[in-house]
Amino acid sequence: MPFNLRDTGATLWANSNKWQRYLIAGVIIVGAFALPLLEGTFLNTPRTPFVSVLFYPIGVYVLMALGLNVVVGKSGLLDLGYVAFYAVGAYTAGILSMHTKLNTWEILPVGIALAMLSGFVLGAAVLRLRGDYLAIVTLGFGEIIRITALNSSAVGGANGISNIPNPPTTFGFTFDLESDRNYYWVVLILIIITILIIRGLSARRPGRAWESIRQDEDVAELMGVNTYKYKLWAFVFGASVGGAAGVLFASKAMFIAPNIFNYNISILILAFVVFGGMGNIWGVVFGAVLLSYIPERIRFISEARMLIFGLVLIIMMNLRPDGLLPRKKREKIGIAGGEIK
Amino acid sequence: MDFSVLTDQFASLTFDGIALGFIYVLIALGYTMVYGVLRLINFANSEVFMLGSFATILVATKLFNHTIESDPLTGFKLVYTMTAMLVGAMIVSGVASVIIEIVAYRRLRSRTSNRLTSLISAIGVSIVLAEAVRMATSSAPMGSPRLLDKTILATVWGADIRVDTLLVIVFAIILLIVLDLFVNKSRLGMGIRAVSMDYDTSRLMGINLNKIISTTFLIGGLGTGAASFFYITVYEMTRFSIGFELGLAAFTAAVLGGIGNIRGAFAGGIALGLIEMYASAVLGTQWRSITAFVILILVLLFKPNGIFGESLQQARV
Amino acid sequence: MNKKIKASAAIVAALALSLGAFAANTASAATTVKIAYQGPLTGPEAQTGTDSIRGVKLAIKIYNATNPAVKVEIFEGDDQGDDAQGGTVGAGIAADDAVIGVLTAYSGPTIAALPSYKAKGIAIVSPSATRASLTDPTSKDYGNPVFHRIVSNDDLQGPALARVATNGVKDPTVFVVDDQSSYSVGLTKAVKLALGTAFQAGDSAAKGAVSDFSATIAKIKKEKANVVIYTGYYADGAKFLKQLRDKGYKGVYAAGDGVLNSQFPKLAGKKQSEGARLTAPTVPLEVASPKITAMFKKDFKADPGVYTTEAFDATNIFLQGIKAGKTTRADMLAYLNSASFSYKNTAGITIKFQESGDLSGSGLMNQFVVKGGTIKLNGKA
Repeated sequence: MPFNLRDTGATLWANSNKWQRYLIAGVIIVGAFALPLLEGTFLNTPRTPFVSVLFYPIGVYVLMALGLNVVVGKSGLLDLGYVAFYAVGAYTAGILSMHTKLNTWEILPVGIALAMLSGFVLGAAVLRLRGDYLAIVTLGFGEIIRITALNSSAVGGANGISNIPNPPTTFGFTFDLESDRNYYWVVLILIIITILIIRGLSARRPGRAWESIRQDEDVAELMGVNTYKYKLWAFVFGASVGGAAGVLFASKAMFIAPNIFNYNISILILAFVVFGGMGNIWGVVFGAVLLSYIPERIRFISEARMLIFGLVLIIMMNLRPDGLLPRKKREKIGIAGGEIK
Repeated sequence: MDFSVLTDQFASLTFDGIALGFIYVLIALGYTMVYGVLRLINFANSEVFMLGSFATILVATKLFNHTIESDPLTGFKLVYTMTAMLVGAMIVSGVASVIIEIVAYRRLRSRTSNRLTSLISAIGVSIVLAEAVRMATSSAPMGSPRLLDKTILATVWGADIRVDTLLVIVFAIILLIVLDLFVNKSRLGMGIRAVSMDYDTSRLMGINLNKIISTTFLIGGLGTGAASFFYITVYEMTRFSIGFELGLAAFTAAVLGGIGNIRGAFAGGIALGLIEMYASAVLGTQWRSITAFVILILVLLFKPNGIFGESLQQARV
Repeated sequence: MNKKIKASAAIVAALALSLGAFAANTASAATTVKIAYQGPLTGPEAQTGTDSIRGVKLAIKIYNATNPAVKVEIFEGDDQGDDAQGGTVGAGIAADDAVIGVLTAYSGPTIAALPSYKAKGIAIVSPSATRASLTDPTSKDYGNPVFHRIVSNDDLQGPALARVATNGVKDPTVFVVDDQSSYSVGLTKAVKLALGTAFQAGDSAAKGAVSDFSATIAKIKKEKANVVIYTGYYADGAKFLKQLRDKGYKGVYAAGDGVLNSQFPKLAGKKQSEGARLTAPTVPLEVASPKITAMFKKDFKADPGVYTTEAFDATNIFLQGIKAGKTTRADMLAYLNSASFSYKNTAGITIKFQESGDLSGSGLMNQFVVKGGTIKLNGKA
């Protein structure tokens, strides 16, 4: 049996008892928190500060990839407009900071709630559509949000919103321009919370419902799964994660504008999910880290770096069609609606 | 909301909308042909269009030594130059499309059941093509010489009927009829329909899948190449990002009409052209794409498979 | 087994690709400083960045060829014109201690990166960020003390453009088309303000997203406008003008500096572009200095673009500082902010900065007219 990272990891986990599992999880978490120490090593990103890159793009994109993974990977709903929820979160932060004195931590739940609400409204309307029709409608929704922001002078139009305040100093941690590490730790905490929630849900009723919808929606319906309800849940959950990422991004960047939330972001996040291995949390995390890191790492060849990014996508998809760390074999069945062998 | 422009310039807007719609129809064919057979959105089709548009101009400037300031041609010279440009665009787009199938899709088809994998590799191909052309052209737009003078043939209710737009409409209709006949009558077309109906069974029946799929990509590419030629004839300019700009609209058109369905692409393209033109007139050009998407969502809510339904009325379940 | 090997090879290849070539970064000796360029070098906006950074490279090449004591290198910060990347790229530029000055291309990414530059005290001389708020002390985007620009801001260009467009037109009825970029929105606002009652109506066609301007042209016909002002960039501006003329519009077409590009009359067509009026706070490189234009064409096998001259000049401002021995960030910033600073630009005009970072005086503003397929300088605007 050749070495296989996913199976080895899964076996290791399965054969461990409770305490060993705590140990493994602890090591991974501590390792993740210690990543800023790698600054200056061969992993260092030229031309962009390493720790800042850990927060954005890496941390923010990992968070969003996890959220989209619930929609695309777990439930098999092709969402090409995920950026909409990111935008809703970011604009919530921007608008509330303009008109109220709320700080980032107070805005965060509002941003998540509004993203969930928009996810609910969109989902309720369109989740009866399937496959690629859902894809184009969600894509359209993402564009509608962006262009509406562009056309609305109340939110700054093309100029966007600037001077969004950083989060206040919390538990002795400052959040300003120099504290990239603290921002990274906050996004890491959100990532860990998201992973715990997804793991919790996956093992329970919603997870099983999503799995059945992904494998065959009609059979799921026939077996008594309220597919519409669970699809809506997946959608709303994904939206909440996107919203959280948006609030966090806005409070770090201090400046948002409509062109940040273009359709390419949706595609990029989707690429992370598929590249890493749809449905598998660790695959998705790995894919997002690698793909958001590469363009930063190769900034020294600035002219050709997007070209190389594209080549990496083609080559890797051809060599590992199910992603770097795909889900377990028994689950390997095409996304709902029209699989091709 | 201001309906005065719409009422004042109705005929003109309608004619322009239809002309724009036919461009969308031609690009939408590329999406629809591939979707009909493979059930996947060929994201790289937009870059096939982009390559075709550059090929059109390069044939005129490199092969026939015209410059951007060349005067319009007439007579036989016009006919053969334009034909060469059209053929050049179609060859480049057709070949590009077939190569994309081999690079981005073929290997994956036999190795995974996951359609999103090919979606991502197709996106990879798009990025590579767009970036390669961007680097080759230093991001600059490329203008086309006006070889066909934009003579106004007639004026109907204030709308100018121009020779170039008329040419687009006539050619697009011919292409649609030919394609429709090909898919419905010819042996290869029958193969394409068989594959689109049931992939596994058609393989079982001895249909050479790779051949059918390559043919489909070739036809889609040729159609897209023709679209890029007509786009250049009418708008006379291209750049590396043109694929993304028009691809999204064409794809919307294809879905609006019922993706996978040639007649659907026709209906969707024209509808989108008119919607964009009327919306721009009434609400302002900044709202045109929003209006198009809102109408698309509304249409899909009531007709979940687009205006004409999917290919062969075979809604997927 | 074979599969696994291939797969691992792929992973290794991807890693090698991403991690490889970590050479470079040789510790810079004290005799080398860097000038950074932050702008779109890839992605859909790359044209502006490509045109500008060539100006930067040319200026540095000319400087280094004189064998100075302090050599200058370029730091290419590619933000793709994307506001989201602006912050990260800015932080990266600020983190490289060798960088003593930066040129920023777009207003949005500049504002995103501004906190980093302010914190580290790095002087900015922008060749193309024209948003008025950057030099407006009452704005949240105020770039003082680090921000400077050598282009007039939109508030200055707006009135000039309005004046040039309506010059000699009896009962001007003006239609303004913007491209929804922040440059265009700012300029449009200033133009409308200056036009007053002559302004009739407007439309917004997002940059690069519109191929067919028929609906906009239908509006222009309906309003019976005799002056059309376009506030976007040259590619769309040319496309729009061509369609406008082809549909029989006979009035004035005027546009701002975004359209000032030698390609503009070619793309719009010789006949269609005839008489088009342009304003710009600078002169194109071809007019400013045929000698440097020749060097430019030789080096890059391409024509100079919209902000090439400004990028060339902005770089020269830093180079002038370096020649004067200002080789630290603090020295450079103090040098630019000192009252005695002045610089003679490529076109031979002496420029100084106000405290806000804008050019002092009324700023230079020229007008141009397209004649026989080329853009000709037509005096002050």
